[in-house]
Amino acid sequence: MITNSAIQNQQLRPATDKNQSLVLTPLQDLGGFLFHHLGRLLLFLITCSSVLLVLLIFFFVIREAIPFLTKFSLTEFLTTKSWYPEAATPKFGALSLIVGSLYVTIAALIFAVPTGILAAIFLSDIVSLKVRDFIKPVIEILAAIPSVAYGFFAVLVLAPWMQNKWGFTTGTNALNASIILSIMALPTIISVAEDSISAVGRELREASYGLGATRFETIFKVVIPAAHSGIIAAIVLGMMRAIGETMVVWMASGNANQIPSPWWDLSQSVRTMTATIAGDMGETPKDSPHYWSLFAIGVVLLLMTFLLNIISEYFLASAKKKTGKS
Amino acid sequence: MRHIIRQITDRAFTILTGTSVVLLAFALLVILGPMLWRGSKAVIFKDTVEFRKMQLDLYNRGNPANLKVENAETESFRKTVYETIDDFKHGIDTEELIDRTKQIYRQLGKELRYKGVTDEEYQRIRSLARELRDRLQAAFESNDKKVIKENINYVLRYHLDENLAETSAVEFFTLAEDFQQSVENIDLNKRQQYAGSLQQIEEIIFHLLGPRPGDPLPALTMNRYGATRWDLAQKLLDNLLWSEKWIQKEAAQPLVKIRVSRAEEFAGTKLEPLFGYVQNNLDKMLKPEFTVYWQYFIDDSTPGHYFGGVGPEILGTLLLTLLAMLFVFPLGVISAAYLVECASDNIAVRIIRMSINTLAGVPSIVFGLFGLAFFVLFFIPLFGGPSKPCILAASLTLAVLTLPVMIRASEEAIRSVPQSYKEASLGLGASKFRTFMRVTFPVALPGILTGVILSLSRVAGETAPILFTGAVALGPLPKSLFDPTMTLSYGSYDIAVGDRLAMMVPHNQYGMVVTLVLLILCLNTIAIVLRARVSRKLRGQ
Amino acid sequence: MQKGKDKMQISALEKEANIDHIDSVVSLGQKAGSGIKKKKPDCKCAVIKSENFSFYYGTKVGVKDITMEIYPCSVTAIIGPSGCGKSTFLRSINRINDLIPHTRVEGRLLVNGHNVYDKSTNLVNLRQQVGMVFQKPNPFPKSIFDNVAYGPGLHGVKKRSALQQIVEESLKAAALWEEVKDDLKKSALALSGGQQQRLCIARALATRPNIILMDEPCSALDPIATSKIEDLIDKLQNDYTIVIVTHNMQQAARVSERTAFFCLGELIEYDSTAKIFRNPGKKQTEDYVTGRFG
Repeated sequence: MITNSAIQNQQLRPATDKNQSLVLTPLQDLGGFLFHHLGRLLLFLITCSSVLLVLLIFFFVIREAIPFLTKFSLTEFLTTKSWYPEAATPKFGALSLIVGSLYVTIAALIFAVPTGILAAIFLSDIVSLKVRDFIKPVIEILAAIPSVAYGFFAVLVLAPWMQNKWGFTTGTNALNASIILSIMALPTIISVAEDSISAVGRELREASYGLGATRFETIFKVVIPAAHSGIIAAIVLGMMRAIGETMVVWMASGNANQIPSPWWDLSQSVRTMTATIAGDMGETPKDSPHYWSLFAIGVVLLLMTFLLNIISEYFLASAKKKTGKS
Repeated sequence: MRHIIRQITDRAFTILTGTSVVLLAFALLVILGPMLWRGSKAVIFKDTVEFRKMQLDLYNRGNPANLKVENAETESFRKTVYETIDDFKHGIDTEELIDRTKQIYRQLGKELRYKGVTDEEYQRIRSLARELRDRLQAAFESNDKKVIKENINYVLRYHLDENLAETSAVEFFTLAEDFQQSVENIDLNKRQQYAGSLQQIEEIIFHLLGPRPGDPLPALTMNRYGATRWDLAQKLLDNLLWSEKWIQKEAAQPLVKIRVSRAEEFAGTKLEPLFGYVQNNLDKMLKPEFTVYWQYFIDDSTPGHYFGGVGPEILGTLLLTLLAMLFVFPLGVISAAYLVECASDNIAVRIIRMSINTLAGVPSIVFGLFGLAFFVLFFIPLFGGPSKPCILAASLTLAVLTLPVMIRASEEAIRSVPQSYKEASLGLGASKFRTFMRVTFPVALPGILTGVILSLSRVAGETAPILFTGAVALGPLPKSLFDPTMTLSYGSYDIAVGDRLAMMVPHNQYGMVVTLVLLILCLNTIAIVLRARVSRKLRGQ
Repeated sequence: MQKGKDKMQISALEKEANIDHIDSVVSLGQKAGSGIKKKKPDCKCAVIKSENFSFYYGTKVGVKDITMEIYPCSVTAIIGPSGCGKSTFLRSINRINDLIPHTRVEGRLLVNGHNVYDKSTNLVNLRQQVGMVFQKPNPFPKSIFDNVAYGPGLHGVKKRSALQQIVEESLKAAALWEEVKDDLKKSALALSGGQQQRLCIARALATRPNIILMDEPCSALDPIATSKIEDLIDKLQNDYTIVIVTHNMQQAARVSERTAFFCLGELIEYDSTAKIFRNPGKKQTEDYVTGRFG
């Protein structure tokens, strides 16, 4: 092995015929400088497209809403319930719409949050890695199903069933929308919660088990409190998903412009902001007060989700700080 | 004791968490299962000869010779049905009979003139005919069997009259005879009721077997054929055999729906054997066969989705998604490359990251508003394009929607490339750019592709952003990027709630939404498999 | 052949730092060295010279005030306890430390007569002339051929035939050719650890550098692979200047002519290997090589 190569070694010697200079010529230097800095600038500008797009979204949606806000009263918009945009004297009271959105969202969360957190605990603490890798695709499939398919199910399967078997007056109501919304929000809640519960790490758990706690006690008294920022972030993100959902609520909530009259009566129809925009826009002529009002609703939606986003970011950042991961 | 409680709570807790996951899986099954099952019926089902006729006429598929043979075979069985109905009608449809007599009378008048009889004879025959006509009318209109008998007999006395022989007036007598025969067994008081039911029955037969041979073709395509699917035929058969009535079972209670056998309703009449006959011979009249209608995915649908498939919708969805990916892929990958390779933790980069997160959180309908306000009304007209919803605007909107997904996935993929490769490449004298292009990017590519596929599946399913930016429910195939298009997502919405016609063809409804779901599930499965392979490769190192 | 067998015997026997063993190893090396380690008259070698060179990670000191010269066509070992700056110094020579943000440099570090930390340094040529082998073998996830051909491809060799020749020569020089010549398209990740490291050496040789830097090249390998690589180093030193950082004092004694002892970022002693191990000048050096700390 070594004997022959002594001869062959003579061929692979340090290069003598190459451009040996370790000093850059001024041209090379300038070229390198330009390429490097211009290249970085170009990449930076392309990356800034995200910032540009966000600004554009805010600008253009607000721009189309401004004519409404200048001509009609903002307080009436936010606090009255009569939404009659096509009447002779149009009235734009969006309160029932806003309440409708919050109503179905909160109802959805009431079901989704406990289920989601329990499922996240199941995945992170109770089953083995193999089973977890098997269940995670199931959750991903739930997340991947498009909202129009959920809406389809809500309208053609769940609504008739509600009407016939349970004797509801109408199958498309707040309960229908809430059930479907909770199923849609579950994957978000589960994956974010599971990430933050897993990130708590073995050490804390080992300390608790070492003191003789049962699994339930460890999870409930040690792990969950340690992961609480991440869990709150998960809930907020689920809420964001539910509030921003359009197709399901448009198809399944009944689109009745009202606030349910005993407030706990989920069997009544409601109307959400998203469904209003989706439903009305098709028939609204451009640059009419109705048109502007829909954009105003869009602004409300945008601000709400932006706020929720910031809140979730805060909690996620505080969760990261606690576990020290980056 | 306390120890036992703790153990029990622990067990209960474990079971509770397991239940939540089981609930999830159950929900998935409940939602997907029936939908996939019903949707598959759009492609795999028992069709009938009517279906094959329709396929031949509309899409030029199938063997005309075979179809002719089948048609001939079914004709004979169907004839009986029509004859039975006609027979019965003669006793019921007095309006028609009266009209017929008037027609015959007028016809007679014309024939007489043509024959060239004398004025006197003309008058005489005419008056005779008039009297016969009036008598027949009286018979037809009367509810009293005695009156009918009297009038019919009067008419029949003249049936050998030579003056009326060889003229249309002969038909008076056949009408009279037929009427007498049919009226024998009928309860004349129920005539109104029979008439109503008969109309329903005729309509059902029309839906089952299509227009009668010899009748003019209806204008609407959907009315030109009978039941194209065997399950539809079965449903119609059930409607034929049973009628629904609302009755008052108990006083002061709401009405209750009950089913009444039509055969019983028409007991003793000429129509009674119809029901048994149709029940036993429907398969011979329709010739059901199992078929796989894979062209469902290619065919256009007749307006209203009554017949046909989802071809244009699939095309539209593919166009929108691929075009959106075209816009978002370079933007996303370059942004991710910058964030990983060049960015330092300064305020600009933090603003960029915040923007990406904000983009990810914007609701999809707001993207629709943005797409309308910006792309449709401002951006595209800026470059001279038409200011209307079109494929270009919709795909641009979808690209903006999916940009954060793309950036996040690409960033994760590029970051997961081991630092050692970068060091080795730089140590050999490669510049940072060449290191990225020749080492980092190829290694990150599978992960980036996973991101692409996930973006594709997200974009394919989105409906809200394209509502006002480029999607229509029904319309022609787009000819350019500046035309709107049908898509699976919007079509599924429309067919579920908007289209009254579509309610009659549930298999088409489910078919469209299932096509969309299957497309997305396929894409997601590919992404999951790809991601598993990538992580196995990286972990195994 | 004899020398190789002896060496393997010794490395297989050794377990812990022991000055007697080192002694015998050093003398063996010297005896053998007198036969082969002659400076060839046409040796195109380079010189590395550091003048008061300091490297800072932010405010933390990497190395401080290093002044030493590395002689051409030889093997120089750098030893010292963990965190003493050996790798920092090594990685400064080819400026691979640039990857780390917030670093600062003082003094001069000259390679082939040019201060590499000068603003006008041609990094591409520098790294072509100064090759590096890392601690953990890091072949690219490409084929064996593509791994070795990567470097020459960067520096302008495009023709297929020229690349094939360079790949073959490099693999032979790295003593890997016989083992892989049948299937150069095989993925480099399919090789064993020792083979991967030799591949990395071949990859570094392919750019035909005159200096090779090795950062603990055997620390991730088993003893047999280690000895193969030490044989390789021994063979390469005829044409290349090799600087090797190592934790393993026996290894330093086995392969190098001169040894530098670093401690806490400073160069404590730099002399011929025999002197460092048998008769160190500074007390710290003696404490380290006799195993009193480290």
